[in-house]
Amino acid sequence: MHSTFSGFRLEPRSHLPRHINWTVPIGSFFAALFAGALLLLVTGQNPISVYQRILERAFLDAGSLSGTLVAATPLLFTGLCAAVAFRVGFFNIGGEGQFYIGAIFSSGIALALGRDAQFWIAIPAMIIAGALGGALWGAIPGFLRAYLRTNEIITSLMLNYIAGVIAVYLIFESSSFWRDLEGTGKMFPKGKVIPPVAFWPEYGIGSLVVPFGFLLGIATAAWIAVLQRRTRFGYEMRVVGGAPTTARYAGMRPGRVIVAVAAVSGALAGLGGAASVGNFRHILDPKGMQQSGFGYAGIVVAALARLNPVAVIFVSIIIGGITNAGYALQGPDFPSGLVGILEGLILFCTLGGEVLMRYRFVRTRGVSSNVVGAQ
Amino acid sequence: MGSQASHSRRRFRTAGVLSVAVLAVVGLVATACSSSDSDSSSVVKAAWIYVGPTNDGGWTQAHDNGRKFAETELGSNVKTTYKENVKEAEVAPVIEDLVKDGNTIIFATSYGYAEPMAAAAAKYPDVKFEQATGDLITAGKATPANYAEYWGAGEDTLYLSGIAAGKATKNNKIGIEAPFAIPEIIRHLNAFVLGAQSVNPAATAKVVWTNDWFNPTAEKQAAESLVSAGVDVIFSHQDSPAAGEVAKANNLPWVGYDSDQSGAYSSVWLTTATYNWGPRYLSRINAVNDNTWKSDNYYGTIADGFTTLATFGNLVSADTKTLIDAELTKAKNAGATSINIRPVVAAFGWFWSLSDRQDQTGAVKITKGQTLSQKDLYEMNWFVKGIDGTLKN
Repeated sequence: MHSTFSGFRLEPRSHLPRHINWTVPIGSFFAALFAGALLLLVTGQNPISVYQRILERAFLDAGSLSGTLVAATPLLFTGLCAAVAFRVGFFNIGGEGQFYIGAIFSSGIALALGRDAQFWIAIPAMIIAGALGGALWGAIPGFLRAYLRTNEIITSLMLNYIAGVIAVYLIFESSSFWRDLEGTGKMFPKGKVIPPVAFWPEYGIGSLVVPFGFLLGIATAAWIAVLQRRTRFGYEMRVVGGAPTTARYAGMRPGRVIVAVAAVSGALAGLGGAASVGNFRHILDPKGMQQSGFGYAGIVVAALARLNPVAVIFVSIIIGGITNAGYALQGPDFPSGLVGILEGLILFCTLGGEVLMRYRFVRTRGVSSNVVGAQ
Repeated sequence: MGSQASHSRRRFRTAGVLSVAVLAVVGLVATACSSSDSDSSSVVKAAWIYVGPTNDGGWTQAHDNGRKFAETELGSNVKTTYKENVKEAEVAPVIEDLVKDGNTIIFATSYGYAEPMAAAAAKYPDVKFEQATGDLITAGKATPANYAEYWGAGEDTLYLSGIAAGKATKNNKIGIEAPFAIPEIIRHLNAFVLGAQSVNPAATAKVVWTNDWFNPTAEKQAAESLVSAGVDVIFSHQDSPAAGEVAKANNLPWVGYDSDQSGAYSSVWLTTATYNWGPRYLSRINAVNDNTWKSDNYYGTIADGFTTLATFGNLVSADTKTLIDAELTKAKNAGATSINIRPVVAAFGWFWSLSDRQDQTGAVKITKGQTLSQKDLYEMNWFVKGIDGTLKN
């Protein structure tokens, strides 16, 4: 009995056992923990206390969970942005730029309405302005793809840089409406703080603080889920995404659908920008936004959530928690690079599990035995 | 009975994997039990928040050297920690964490941390918050009593670096690349050009903006554009040595910023302004230790040993070295001071009002002998005559 084998190959699963929807994700999660533990042991860390600290500083302490929600809120919106677009095969990498434009629009309207506005006018105005800004910016690559056949991955990515330069211009290189030219603004360029009436509320539940933006994100995710499953537009999105030619035969207009999806996707990222300004930063902060890169992180969130809008909510909390706990972990004996590797391991294993869900490994042997396990 | 054999072998393999896993878990628990943190309560716990990695070869590394200096000096009387690569927009929960971990003094070393630091100071009156390069106090904003700011007169040592550049240029065209047209940078560039003009009145400077503190690609491109504009000395007010590469390739004298590159770029290096954060950190931790800590707005000087000049490169002539060293000694002897918001006197900024200073249009902005305040320096928004570059605000 020879037990040598020349390798493995991936074979699509002919049918998906029901349990695989939860066994594979949970299995890959534990695989990540295990691989992470080995890495930590090798680098002289104590895995149990490290994991305990992640858990505490991400979710268990009431204060930490509040911090996690702060980190999760922008990711929730940018995650939805990517999920909606990718579902239809429109690879919008432009969530980053759409987020910036949303932040520019929403801070602009809040500043324009001033401190005498009513909060019930200022906050909805910010929401609408943020969504509108993101939608306009997002529609550009949609339009280019639908009518000029350009590759949206390139165009949406390039528009991120343009949006970044616009935001930097408004604060650093001009005396724009957004820029604070008084006080410390004379010493270092910064945005004007929006009037306090336009600050989005936070709700205290015991010692847990829930930002309004996060609740808005949950409502938006639910709305997207309904839109995708229960409406004509959702049906068109599915058909256009799956089979554009069929869609055309069925009398749909794929071009229009793509532009619409691009705009909706952009609006979601724009909402994230509005939430970030309204709930947390209260200013237009181009460098801060660029450092954070919520738009790009949103793509990871969407991938982990398997493009499911409701799952995006949970994944954004988990990623937000890991980000939050990452800072708590590092120190002189725990370089931030190790935090990055740990986070990377978790993502890698979870996304790797995705492959296992759709394919299975089959041993390829030198000889013609094709029954797994017969030796 | 092939299938049965394989069955049992598989079971055996499963058992093997399981036992390895169990062993690993046991091992983990054992290590978990053996290491327990022993925190003595009398020790001051001090924490630093960095915007970059501790090995960035520039800004953050200088701060971390300061942390290590304080740690070496204080030995077991201090327990230090740091958080690196902390994004400015995400600093608030990091501060919360450090407070939760029992740190009683927190140093934040990037400009954008100032507002969240001041907010945390109001929330945690028992913890001392120290903000590097902040300007809330200078701007006259109300800040809590447990919030302090510290920075230093880098323009002084840049003035001295300017002397080296003014001596080095042959066609009187110096190229400067810098991040943003903001008062801090404008003040630094003005000082540098005034230094060059002090030994070479015909010296002019061309400024290009990179729009980033740290961006090797943009820095390299900016340096190349300066070279093609015909400059024969380069000054890069940036956090990476990318311009040094361009200087090397074109064999042009180079002045860097905030890190001593005399070793790696010896063929082109002149000198530059560097910062020594250690003494400040040591004295502030000591102040927490003996309960004498008070809020201040520290502006370090050459006399304090805070602003320092990097090693001279081979291109700096002996005469120029003597000249710069004489200025340096004068500044040192001006005496160490630690007065809040000092007027500009001999201790720092001695050069600003040596004569009337004109802006690019020829208008006099500083008269000879005029006293400048720290606020004047912090709000400087004009270029001295001889600088070719636009201020976009």
